[in-house]
Amino acid sequence: MITQRGFTVLFAGILFLTSGFSFFNFYLILLGVYLIVGLVVTLPLFAVTANLSGIEVDRKIDKTKVFSGDFLRVRVTIRNTSRRNFDFIEVWDQYPETWILAIGENFMASRIEAGSSIAFSYILQARMRGRYYLGPTEVIMRDRLGLHYYKRTVKARTEILVYPTWKDVRRLETIGKQRQLGLMFGSHKTKVVGMGTEFAGFREYVPGDPFKLIDWKTTAKRGEMMVKQYEEEKNVQFICMVDSSGSMGNGYPENTKLEYGIRAAVLLTYMGLERKDLVGVCVFSDVVHNYVPPNTKPDHMYEVLDALAMAEPMGWSDYETAVSHVTSQTRKRSLFFFLTDLEESPGPLLNAMKAVVANGHRAVVISPFGPWFEAPVGQFGPVERVLSEAVSEELWERRVKISRALSRFGIEVVNVGPEDFLPAIIHQYNAAKQRGVALH
Amino acid sequence: MRVVTWILRVVSVATFVYLSYTVYSIMSGRWDWGIPYEYIVTVFRLLSLIMFFLAIMIVNGVASPLLGGQVLNNLVGGLYNTLILRFWYMQPYGVSGPMMNVNEVFTSFMNDFIGILMTLWNQTFTFLYFLCAAVGIALFLQSLVRMDHKFVIGAFISIQLILVIAAFRDVAIPNYEVFPTDFYEFLVSKAQILALVSFAYLESSYQMIYSHSVGKPIEEREETLKKQLLALRMATRKQDRMERGEKVSTTAMSRSSGATAFSFLREAIERKVVGTKDALENMDAVADVRRLQHFVDELLRNDPAAKDELTAKAAAPSESYVIRSAVTGSAIRLMAVVGVSFLLMNPWVFVALLNLPTGIANSVELLQPEFMLLFLVPVVALFPFAAMLIGSIVKREVEIEGNLTKEQKQELKREKREMKQKKKKAEKARRERTHVRRKRRGESEEKDEWDRAIEDVARE
Repeated sequence: MITQRGFTVLFAGILFLTSGFSFFNFYLILLGVYLIVGLVVTLPLFAVTANLSGIEVDRKIDKTKVFSGDFLRVRVTIRNTSRRNFDFIEVWDQYPETWILAIGENFMASRIEAGSSIAFSYILQARMRGRYYLGPTEVIMRDRLGLHYYKRTVKARTEILVYPTWKDVRRLETIGKQRQLGLMFGSHKTKVVGMGTEFAGFREYVPGDPFKLIDWKTTAKRGEMMVKQYEEEKNVQFICMVDSSGSMGNGYPENTKLEYGIRAAVLLTYMGLERKDLVGVCVFSDVVHNYVPPNTKPDHMYEVLDALAMAEPMGWSDYETAVSHVTSQTRKRSLFFFLTDLEESPGPLLNAMKAVVANGHRAVVISPFGPWFEAPVGQFGPVERVLSEAVSEELWERRVKISRALSRFGIEVVNVGPEDFLPAIIHQYNAAKQRGVALH
Repeated sequence: MRVVTWILRVVSVATFVYLSYTVYSIMSGRWDWGIPYEYIVTVFRLLSLIMFFLAIMIVNGVASPLLGGQVLNNLVGGLYNTLILRFWYMQPYGVSGPMMNVNEVFTSFMNDFIGILMTLWNQTFTFLYFLCAAVGIALFLQSLVRMDHKFVIGAFISIQLILVIAAFRDVAIPNYEVFPTDFYEFLVSKAQILALVSFAYLESSYQMIYSHSVGKPIEEREETLKKQLLALRMATRKQDRMERGEKVSTTAMSRSSGATAFSFLREAIERKVVGTKDALENMDAVADVRRLQHFVDELLRNDPAAKDELTAKAAAPSESYVIRSAVTGSAIRLMAVVGVSFLLMNPWVFVALLNLPTGIANSVELLQPEFMLLFLVPVVALFPFAAMLIGSIVKREVEIEGNLTKEQKQELKREKREMKQKKKKAEKARRERTHVRRKRRGESEEKDEWDRAIEDVARE
């Protein structure tokens, strides 16, 4: 392949050649011939030596699973396994478009001798949740004068799974520290007074209480029989039903309804596990993509993150299939958090909710309202603004009806926007804990 | 690599100076240093004449119906005397008195117009010599600094264009009456030496660019990394100071050394996070910068080779090899070019090879320069053809090697199969549910249950 530089030399050669013919001048012809011959004379030799299959590219990364926003070092080693020296190679290691090159460069240009290797590295910031691939690597070899080149794309890819962002959890931890300092109130444990080990207080003795519970010191002080009370903490079991249908992908790229839903699910799982609750996650659209049953084992969080990382907005929401799949595997009473935009045909939703309630579970629908996640009305022209407002009103009316209809099953619908998505879910979780919903 | 680049730079300068001096010598006697000024004056004289002609035609055309055709004759004469002759010092200004007769004016105008056009034609070529030389030197100087092949080839073509224009004007430039049949005679001929030096200039300049482009990325990489780390450190310190409530000033250095060279930090600044008081409110971006700082610190602390890998220090080629291979490569190329070109251009070789009849072998046509095309085109085409054949073999190897690994293919297949099964299962379950409901209601077509629910709500 001739480079742009080669074509310029060719153009100059033809220019001098034709000038020489026109003016009958051997010097100009000779110059033209020199340029043209100089351009092509080493071409076969270059083609023989430029066997790019002798170049091997090896890419190494420190971790194959990272959180969104984390940094990752990529190390690229280029080996020349052939017996020839390559005068000039350029190596471009490609990374996902949405990521940011934080430190270093993903490009290297150098000479590589036979049997030797060169290595370079760069640091990337993973920006969006999902499954990504580093690569392919483009290797371009040029001759010394840059007149010819050969290109090879090494398709070897390195898979990286990017978990949803952990920043919400970090914020929560910060707030948690503040709470320890007495700055925040309102979070309660769900406790049942009974056979626990933690001391809860005293009460008057009633016939039938075991004698060993009588606290004699207090009885002496008060002058009446008092018994000690203990409490045991009851855990809640809940399941996040994350809708990953196509409509959930609407909104700004990093702030779609699905992204918020996933962040909410991560936060809820973390909070639940911190308080020894059983948390499960189901990612569904027209099929159940992933279901992680409620559990409290140490690596449960990572299982949930794996499931959420892979979620992609596509298909439509088949609530019935999802509910049927989950209820068939969940015997204990659970609280279902539906994170869905309710933009699908309502029949299946109603049936699904009926199935949830009929199986003895409870449910809350945390529903992102589409227009709140899209471009602000202020950015539209007059026509678009009117249309947008009309659509919003219609959607809102429909939503009000849905809320009223679902309330007949005791299911609350919480309409949320980007700002109140996470607070709403924290509030609902705390409320459920306080009420002791879905205890087991 | 800087030393090698400098050596090649000196070679490039030497060849260019020799080339330029030779061209200057060839054109000696034709470098009239007053021509650039005179040429510009001539152009303006011509433009004045055209403007004068257009102006009087328009004014006369408009005025004659109202005032009569003869009224403006004095005005035309006056204008010609003052604006053309006097303004541009053209005869008969200064030789005789002003022209009062309009016929004399137009006769003089015609003569001046033709005379100026002829002068312009003659001066244009000399002006072009100067223009090409100036452009050539300017591009050459640029090529030494910018290391871009466009400047090299531009300088080369500009200098050679002087000889092309000279050949058009029948100026004696190096040439052969008959192309030499003796290789030694050809080798020491003036035309060959000039062509060889010209080619050597291109060769040495391209070698210089090669040396620069091989060494520079690694040097730049190191510089960039230093700037990035410095910028990162400064940004982190600034945040620390802001958190402590100290006053923070934005210095010119922090912007030039850091932000402009560092996309990650630049993005943070664009998000108006670093460097403003409101910055701390945006915890994410601040945390990003800080976490990157920690990440880099840890990396450099735990892995001693990390810095060398980030700068790709080990990738720097050896200087001695580059200079050695540049000399041998250039020598081989120059010899090959001279040899092959001599064979292609020498009619004696063709005659011997083709075994031509005597009549054709002794004909004048064989001595014509166009004859060499007979061999030049196929021989030159042979090289890319051979390269293409070799390249296609090499490419096949690449295609086989570049595909996905067996495990990756199996993994993709497995995922597709699982998704298919899931969809099938879900579809089956949906069908069953629909069937059960229809059976229960005894309806041929199911009415949307949700619509019924909404209707119920509306009725309430």
